[in-house]
Amino acid sequence: MTDTPLDFGDPEDLERLRHDFRAWLAGHPLPERPPGEPLPVFLHRWHRRLYSGGWVGLDVPEQYGGRGLTALHQVTVSDELGARGAPGVPRIGYLAHALLRFGSEEQRRRLLPRMLSGDDVWCQGFSEPGAGSDLAGMSTYAERRPEGHYIVNGQKLWTSYAQYSGLCLLLARTDRAAPAHASISAFVLPLDRPGVTVRPLRAANGDDEFCELFLDDVRLEESERIGAEGDGWPLAMTTVAYERNALDTGHLSKYGLLIERLRRAAHERRGTLPDGLLSDIGRCAVDYQVLVAHARRRTAERLAGQSAGPESSVDKLLMTRAEQRLYETALRVFPEELYGEGGEVLGDYFYSRAASVYGGTSQIQRNIIAKRLLGLPVGPRA
Amino acid sequence: MERDEFTLVRDMLRAFATRFRSGSADDVKAQTRTDAQRALDELGLSGLRRTSPPAATVQECALLAEEHGRQPLTTSLLGTALLAPELLRLLDLGERAEPVHGDRPTVALAGDLRFPDRDAVGLVAWDCDGADTALFVHAEGRVTEHELGAPAPTADLLRGVRRASAEGRPVGRLTPGAHQCWQAYALVVVASELVGAARSFVGQSVDYARERHQYGQPIGSFQAVQHQLADATVLVEACTSATRYAAWCLDSETPGRALTAARVAKAEVNSAAVEAVYAGMQVFGGIAQTWEHVAHLYLRRVLVGAAVLATTADLLTVLAAPEATR
Repeated sequence: MTDTPLDFGDPEDLERLRHDFRAWLAGHPLPERPPGEPLPVFLHRWHRRLYSGGWVGLDVPEQYGGRGLTALHQVTVSDELGARGAPGVPRIGYLAHALLRFGSEEQRRRLLPRMLSGDDVWCQGFSEPGAGSDLAGMSTYAERRPEGHYIVNGQKLWTSYAQYSGLCLLLARTDRAAPAHASISAFVLPLDRPGVTVRPLRAANGDDEFCELFLDDVRLEESERIGAEGDGWPLAMTTVAYERNALDTGHLSKYGLLIERLRRAAHERRGTLPDGLLSDIGRCAVDYQVLVAHARRRTAERLAGQSAGPESSVDKLLMTRAEQRLYETALRVFPEELYGEGGEVLGDYFYSRAASVYGGTSQIQRNIIAKRLLGLPVGPRA
Repeated sequence: MERDEFTLVRDMLRAFATRFRSGSADDVKAQTRTDAQRALDELGLSGLRRTSPPAATVQECALLAEEHGRQPLTTSLLGTALLAPELLRLLDLGERAEPVHGDRPTVALAGDLRFPDRDAVGLVAWDCDGADTALFVHAEGRVTEHELGAPAPTADLLRGVRRASAEGRPVGRLTPGAHQCWQAYALVVVASELVGAARSFVGQSVDYARERHQYGQPIGSFQAVQHQLADATVLVEACTSATRYAAWCLDSETPGRALTAARVAKAEVNSAAVEAVYAGMQVFGGIAQTWEHVAHLYLRRVLVGAAVLATTADLLTVLAAPEATR
């Protein structure tokens, strides 16, 4: 953490970008989502349209298909999308950062432009039935054959939208004997490879976002490994560190929009709100704006040269706090979703309950803060 | 300020704070207060925001306020060195009518320590160690100068507060934009000092958790204690981000946006700083409940600080209003 002034960006420069983006949006309205079109398909069309305007991967170097600007520019675009009620920027920031840091030059040049343009849709194969937050318990195994390729066997769980994806960032153990942080490797797995089975899993909110992935004697080439053997652990840590920042996930705009909806509803029903609900809405607004400030500070710190690390556990806990309190409050503002047909708020409420579980549980985040940020001693597990 | 220059000023303040910190409530005596204030005055920080353009950014001043909050100090950095000079600067940009008589003004607040509403009563000179007069900003932006009276009681044992005369001499008026800037600046500076206090106290409790043994091991190795300190850390980081961003907004954004960011920061700090100090006190255990220990000096500071200028209830109501109606 720095205790000297931080550069949160040049407001005029960012304002110019905002202005250009608004002008572009005016000519490229949000596509219609036909009834029955799955959300990821709709979002993918939106992704391609944003890319065509140059609004994806603003902070990715130009030679890899980005615009070579800063993360603050990407933030501005994300902000503006939220303000317009449009879906957020595609959630690829964390994948792009992992490839930028660990991929070979050949992989970066081949994979990144297609990722940014939406030609390749990616999912993430980290968790397993026996290893959720605890990656050390991973049992998917990539056995290296004398010819140089790998044969992979195992099962992945919670692989978001795998049924709509072409590529998977796969973690597998390449050494059964070594400790977890030295024995896991990362691969690019094409999901149409023989031996791969994808099975959607219905979630509490009714959606089929999550999938199971079964891998039976799947062959992966050496060139499909990202980084060296054993780089999987640091790669996963980089990926989740970026994934835990609300900016990189594009959640901020979604929250901002709902808060403004709650404020307007409260304003219209002035005087008829249950006790304390108005201040609860104010509290949600504070949570959200603290999260914006926090994400900007992280971005500014990163631009000042700090790489994403264990402090992202703080980001994740703050995001969880904001999200869960927001949807609990939203259900109190729109109680009809509880005793009626349901709706978007109820669905998102269920999703918010997962916030303290996915990407490493809240308890795991607290352990990381205690041990790695505060340096507290290792003790009994009880 | 250049980065090097700022680091120099911050280190100077840090050295001052280490030397003049109160080790316990018993150290808070009239003579030690006077000595400490004289030493702080010698650092010459009251010039940081007095000129236009100011010598230091709001972001820099906020970081100095954080630094001041880290140690239990009786000195008035906020009132006399940061707040009153900024008020005079904003007044010069607005409609300055009459000169101020005092050499070292501090700021006056309504008797309940909040920003005044239209019928504020019982004014107090807040954070007034070393001050000779107090400036009061009325709800509609008029500024008056008030005489200092007898000490006023406050639960914050470190903070100097005195009664201020009901009648004041008019010295000018803030333009609406300057009034917004003033409120935002005051919120940010006060919040920053509380952030410094909370961060420092949580840091001390982390150190204690490493040293204190129970059942044959450091208490910091128990997961229940670790999680409590992790939660306190999250709160400290949240209020740090909110205040630093709000400070930057004052340097770079419109007064309206800066005021919203400052309100958010104060609302977060009001609850987070107190919660974080509670967590630290729990880790310290019995010793933190004694008069001799510094814990209650921190608790008193954040507890009263959470009521200064704007309470959580004041802020949440404002922040619950739709953007369009604000």
